[in-house]
Amino acid sequence: MSTTIEHETGAPHHAEPHAAGHVSYLKDGYSIWSWLFTVDHKRIGILYLIMLTLFFAVGGALAGLVRLNLITPSGMILENDQYNKTFTAHGVVMLFLFLIPSIPGVFGNFFVPIMVGAKDMAFPKLNIASWYVWMLGAGFAVLALLTGGLDTGWTLYPPYSTRSSHGNVVTGVFGVFITGFSSIMTGLNIIVTIHRMRAPGMTWGRLPLFCWAMYATSLIQLLATPVLAIALLLLMIESASNALGVPVGIFDPALDGDPVLFQHLFWFYSHPAVYIMILPGMGVVSELLTCFSRKNIFGYTAVAWSSVGIAIVGFLVWAHHMFVAGISYYAALLFSLLSMFVAVPSAIKVFNWVSTLYRGAISFQAPMIFGLGFIVLFTIGGLTGLYLATLGSDIHLHDTYFIVAHFHFVMVGGMVLAYLGAVHYWWPKMFGVMYSDFWSRIGAVLIITGYTLTFMPQFWLGYHGMPRRYPNYPAQFQFLNVMSTAGYTVQLAGFLLIHTYLILSFFTGKKAGPNPWAATGLEWAPTESPPITHNFDTTPRVVAGPYEYSLNLTQTGEKADVR
Amino acid sequence: MILQTTMLPPQASEIAWHVDNLIWFISAVCGITGLGVYGALLYFCIVYRRKVPNQLGYAPTPRILGSHKMELAWTVIPLVLFLGFFAWGAWIYNMCFHEPPDAPEIYIVGKQWMWKIQYPEGQRVILGQNSLDYSKTVGGEGYFEGVMVLPVNRPVKIITTSEDVIHDFGIPAFRQKIDVVPGRYTSTWYLPTKTGTYDVFCDQYCGTNHSLMVGKVVVVDGDTYTKWLAGTWSPDGGQGHGNRNAVDGSMAHQGRQLFMKLNCIQCHNTQNPRAPVLEEIFGTRRQFKDGTSVIADDEYLRESIRKPRAKVREGWEAIMPHFGTDKVSPEDLNKVVAYIKSLKKGDTPVRTEDWVPPVGAPTEERPQGKSSEGGGPK
Repeated sequence: MSTTIEHETGAPHHAEPHAAGHVSYLKDGYSIWSWLFTVDHKRIGILYLIMLTLFFAVGGALAGLVRLNLITPSGMILENDQYNKTFTAHGVVMLFLFLIPSIPGVFGNFFVPIMVGAKDMAFPKLNIASWYVWMLGAGFAVLALLTGGLDTGWTLYPPYSTRSSHGNVVTGVFGVFITGFSSIMTGLNIIVTIHRMRAPGMTWGRLPLFCWAMYATSLIQLLATPVLAIALLLLMIESASNALGVPVGIFDPALDGDPVLFQHLFWFYSHPAVYIMILPGMGVVSELLTCFSRKNIFGYTAVAWSSVGIAIVGFLVWAHHMFVAGISYYAALLFSLLSMFVAVPSAIKVFNWVSTLYRGAISFQAPMIFGLGFIVLFTIGGLTGLYLATLGSDIHLHDTYFIVAHFHFVMVGGMVLAYLGAVHYWWPKMFGVMYSDFWSRIGAVLIITGYTLTFMPQFWLGYHGMPRRYPNYPAQFQFLNVMSTAGYTVQLAGFLLIHTYLILSFFTGKKAGPNPWAATGLEWAPTESPPITHNFDTTPRVVAGPYEYSLNLTQTGEKADVR
Repeated sequence: MILQTTMLPPQASEIAWHVDNLIWFISAVCGITGLGVYGALLYFCIVYRRKVPNQLGYAPTPRILGSHKMELAWTVIPLVLFLGFFAWGAWIYNMCFHEPPDAPEIYIVGKQWMWKIQYPEGQRVILGQNSLDYSKTVGGEGYFEGVMVLPVNRPVKIITTSEDVIHDFGIPAFRQKIDVVPGRYTSTWYLPTKTGTYDVFCDQYCGTNHSLMVGKVVVVDGDTYTKWLAGTWSPDGGQGHGNRNAVDGSMAHQGRQLFMKLNCIQCHNTQNPRAPVLEEIFGTRRQFKDGTSVIADDEYLRESIRKPRAKVREGWEAIMPHFGTDKVSPEDLNKVVAYIKSLKKGDTPVRTEDWVPPVGAPTEERPQGKSSEGGGPK
């Protein structure tokens, strides 16, 4: 852990200032081509940010349609088919076009190279290629959704998806298939960057926990995504061959296929994909809590290795999505047992985060409110996962609103809060301006309240047995559904507020110094905000761990609070 | 209406009692843990808040790096608790898999978007929302095609399969659900403990009218159940559709008719057998040509009809055609299997030589194997 890895290959040291690389990355070329053909990891991060914001808005609007429809038991605004296509579109957009690429795409790209002290990613051209591949996949997915939609649910279970569905299954699935390659490219780039491009003195033991989390995430992306590709390819073959009238049976039992095989392949990716979504968020929260409580992280090694532990054990629990799907009794026992083991590293993280606050000097700026909100909501999401990993209770709760609430607490309460925390934490570094302190705190509180109000009633609905994916429902479920929709409107207000003050910050925000939060990480070391194209004037020399707040010491050995 | 969901859901089966105990146990443990975490979080946030509001930058804090003892404690203690959940949950799951040996078997066939339920005594009902004007009825005073009736305090086994896509048969009041998978048979069992009317939901997304694949199960006392099976009582006093069926014999009896109609009798007979006689084969060990053997269970009987060439009996030729879903629906298959299971010694019907195949029987030429001149057991 303490050996210093010295190599200059990855992060070349420029003795002579290089004029082109020494202006703010935002001012290094203004033409549209300077953005579209950029290989600068920071600009690529911004490209991701723009598209992700757009897709999040689309996914959020679709969620609004779903919630509106569920205000009345008979379905307020949508026909059954429209509803089915709406919730499928919500799932596909939010998962494949927002959650999976969100933090890796924006903050992984933007900050991992700076945080390890490198000039750029290991493979800058692969990096921009990953954005284009993702856009291509997103294009197919959006095309499928706009020209008839998918009515399969994001899980795409055959034989429904290959036989009965009357949507654009092949086009939509092809889109998702393509986005997978982008995910692999980003993962590969981050792994190599962290291995090969660390600045002198940036040992593994001094690596920020965000980089550890991104490293674990990238491992999963690299190893699991190919299995999704296999599953989707087989699904496309079956769907297309059905449509062409020469059916090839892979998953459809009427053609001697096995529908449960698809579920195995699908969840072999999609369960680890849950960790692709949440691990980066966990990394962000470690950065936020230490900075705003001015403390070293409690148990650095435990937090770092629990990320890797989640990544590894996360591969061994996929069939807990299938306890009632007709898998064998012994398989169910094994997967339930293994699922208990994957719960432990998450618990370790929560305990370490809370202990980090002990005897700190805590301030409550918006990033910290998001970070604390993450702990509160993620704890609920994590604990309710135990009901579902336990066989006896999963039988009742499976496929009900309990599941919906559980994964929204993890994905939305966890990941989206971490994403917003990251946006607020790094905004001054990315754009050099500060947003309104007051309104950002209001926004954070609104969103956390909205989430809780939206998804808490759904646990109770699920315990009462309301199934997922119902456009209409027995009348006794109405009260809780109305409450849930009310929560959505509170969230919506929060998001509109956030977008307003963030956009306003470009025009009226006061200049952020190089290190407005007095943080210790290497990403605050560049003397300017926003950073110059080459990130650093000279290759930084790392002399300290990432969270020496109690010593007031940045990783390059300067005082953290000198602004 | 509000009270119905703010109160606890009805608990109407043996398993429901066990599941609820487990759920409340997990809730208690997680509740205490969660409140502990939140308590600590709140306490730290108040006590250790920055004394000068909004001031960033240096503030003296102790340099605490961690504690191996605490890490060990909060690794081991949660793991032990989680393993406790696992063991309790596995115990209940095990219970769902092992029905009492004398439980009667009720077959459930899922189809977009209805449930077809067959009782061994021959009664059958269809559950499903009237899809024509669902918007007026769903969720309100629902109009159901039929109602599933179950006896209180008597175990029943349910065996499910699907004709098209994956469905899931779930009864929240029983805290049980099971995926209904095409090409597979899945089973569980219920021991209803409280009379009343409860919801049946399709829990696995199955297309446009997924939310209309719902119905009611009525749990009644033993006498009423007997009357219902005989077709002399219905849950709504005989007003509803299909709630009071005249019963045309038991499932085994209906299977016997199919056995004749499908011409099974042409080969599986005692006078001039070209295929094994099926009397009392259920539960016996069957020897195959490739040297393997299995105990004849439901799965084996179904496979021997759907794919007869998969396992060929020692001493017989593979001359039987496949009976796919186009010739024998899943429901009819259940009837034929029920008949074969019920066949006692000497019960096989007598075959007459000048038998005219009835309308609808398979018409294609039977493959004339080597054993066409009566290849009985060697």
